[in-house]
Amino acid sequence: MSSIIKARSLSRHYGKTRALDGIDLDIPQGRIVGIIGPNGAGKTTALKAILGLGHYQGELSVLGLDPSSQRDRLMKDVCFIADVAVLPRWARVDRLIDLTEQLHPNFSRERCLKFLAETRIQPKSRVRSLSKGMIVQLHLALVMAIDARLLVLDEPTLGLDILFRKRFYSNLLNDYFDEGRTIIITTHQVEEVEHILTDLIFIKNGQLILNSSMEAIHQRYTELMVKPDQVEAARTLGPLNERQMFGRHILLFDGVPMEQLQALGETHQPSVADLFVAMMSDDKDQELAA
Amino acid sequence: MNQVMTPGTAVRPLRTLISLMRRELWESPISMKWAPLGIGLLTILLTLFTLAIASRVDHELHSAQDALRLLAETDREQLKLLVTGFLFSTSTIFFQFMVLLIIFYLAGSLFDDRKDRSILFWKSLPVSDGMLVGSKLATACLLIPLMFMLAIMLTHLVLLLIASGLAVSAGVNPFTTIWLPASLPHLWSVMAAGLLVQALWLMPIYAWLLFCSSWAPRLPILIAIGIPAVLAIIQNSWSLLSSLSLPNVNIGLVMLKRLGSSMLPMSANIQFDHGLQHIQFDEDLFMRFSNLNNYLLSLELWIGLVIALPLLVAAVWFRRRATDQA
Repeated sequence: MSSIIKARSLSRHYGKTRALDGIDLDIPQGRIVGIIGPNGAGKTTALKAILGLGHYQGELSVLGLDPSSQRDRLMKDVCFIADVAVLPRWARVDRLIDLTEQLHPNFSRERCLKFLAETRIQPKSRVRSLSKGMIVQLHLALVMAIDARLLVLDEPTLGLDILFRKRFYSNLLNDYFDEGRTIIITTHQVEEVEHILTDLIFIKNGQLILNSSMEAIHQRYTELMVKPDQVEAARTLGPLNERQMFGRHILLFDGVPMEQLQALGETHQPSVADLFVAMMSDDKDQELAA
Repeated sequence: MNQVMTPGTAVRPLRTLISLMRRELWESPISMKWAPLGIGLLTILLTLFTLAIASRVDHELHSAQDALRLLAETDREQLKLLVTGFLFSTSTIFFQFMVLLIIFYLAGSLFDDRKDRSILFWKSLPVSDGMLVGSKLATACLLIPLMFMLAIMLTHLVLLLIASGLAVSAGVNPFTTIWLPASLPHLWSVMAAGLLVQALWLMPIYAWLLFCSSWAPRLPILIAIGIPAVLAIIQNSWSLLSSLSLPNVNIGLVMLKRLGSSMLPMSANIQFDHGLQHIQFDEDLFMRFSNLNNYLLSLELWIGLVIALPLLVAAVWFRRRATDQA
């Protein structure tokens, strides 16, 4: 399968800070990739590089184009929401749709109106008169109506209520996504996207510390709720992380055979959130936690 | 009209440019649509008000009617000069306001969407930064002058209709006394051409404003005015303090002079250097295309364009990097 995004030693420095520290990345077509990382880890810098909004060192090709010099061509096949509520405040909804239709060859007015019909947004309203949630809804409607090969969503549902968030992700999966498209999502609400992701990337201090498909992650990582008398035995297997819940020790293992773990207690698949916490905490944090 | 054009055709860039310019009209309807119409309305109201006052003093407007009868008897050349001169003078307020408006428009044009971050939405559309900056420039050079020109034409028509009413009441043929000497098609086309030449003449100023608008972290209009002003003051005080005289070119004065000499978009542009005594009120002032040619052929205009080019390139460069930080 061909790569939609291909990066080799992608770097970006802000003064002495390394926002991106030589990332290699291949994202194939037809995947839904979650990029998860703490604030300031380099997510936004990476997305900006991919979208042609920021400069970078290293090699990067998106849909075979160089984003830094071919942003306008790239945007025919890429659409994004890079920040919440960035629609021009003076614009009227119907004119914003007109304008997007005129400027974007792959925009479908019909689809956009269909998405908007599910909201309370009126065509004659001005953006400035809409609530923050409605602006996001409008932006999503505009973006989802673009027949793009790559959709990049940076915190797409921030400020939306849970009903809309659920509906949005189900729309995204049922109406929008197909094997011809690729979706990249960054969010802090990991639990909500967990079940729709096909691939997961963790980014920390400008480096990818995890870049894998969900199946591989499920095979590789196991969480073990240890029997009280087996804690020391379990610790010798080198857990990634250890936490306590209701007095029980829960240990996270990377690549330890299932049979070996099952002998020591209950095993289950870790949630992305737990995996995230385990892999992101610095050693110092872990000492504190322990 | 709305049929989908296949991407990549040669028509596409032009359509994009027009859409982007329409966007500017949607964003600033007050300054681009209502302001010129408002000035027109004000001019008309002022005329009507004057007539109303006059009718108080002179019940049947006899003096105005007498004036019109007198006008009907003046020779054709003189009449033409008087009528076109009157129409032209009513449009000067439009032109002065327009230049002011364009200055403020350009200073904000590449700044406002950076401030409210909607630049991220515009950057998500398949429009190049060069095209975007081009659309701002085209709005300043073509769209705003067009809107003002339309308002001027409307105002002229209403004023001439009012005059026609008076003429009929005075028993004067409005067609031969007013409409024919007004030679509207000629007057309007000279004005329109004048506006285009004016845009070329002001190009370095426009480019400077776009350039400042593209990078200024805040208050682009103050920065755009402040930099040449400060330079001018420094140069001036340096020349005063030291015996060393700097080249006799003061950037602040150069810019002011260029602006000042463009407030009226044609050869009524008074050459300040020679004083006012050389100006004669004749048709040459506003009714000859040849004067526009003189402008087009002047070295100053071309030097201005040469200065404008790198400023525009720099504006595009900064625009490309506008989303780079945070």
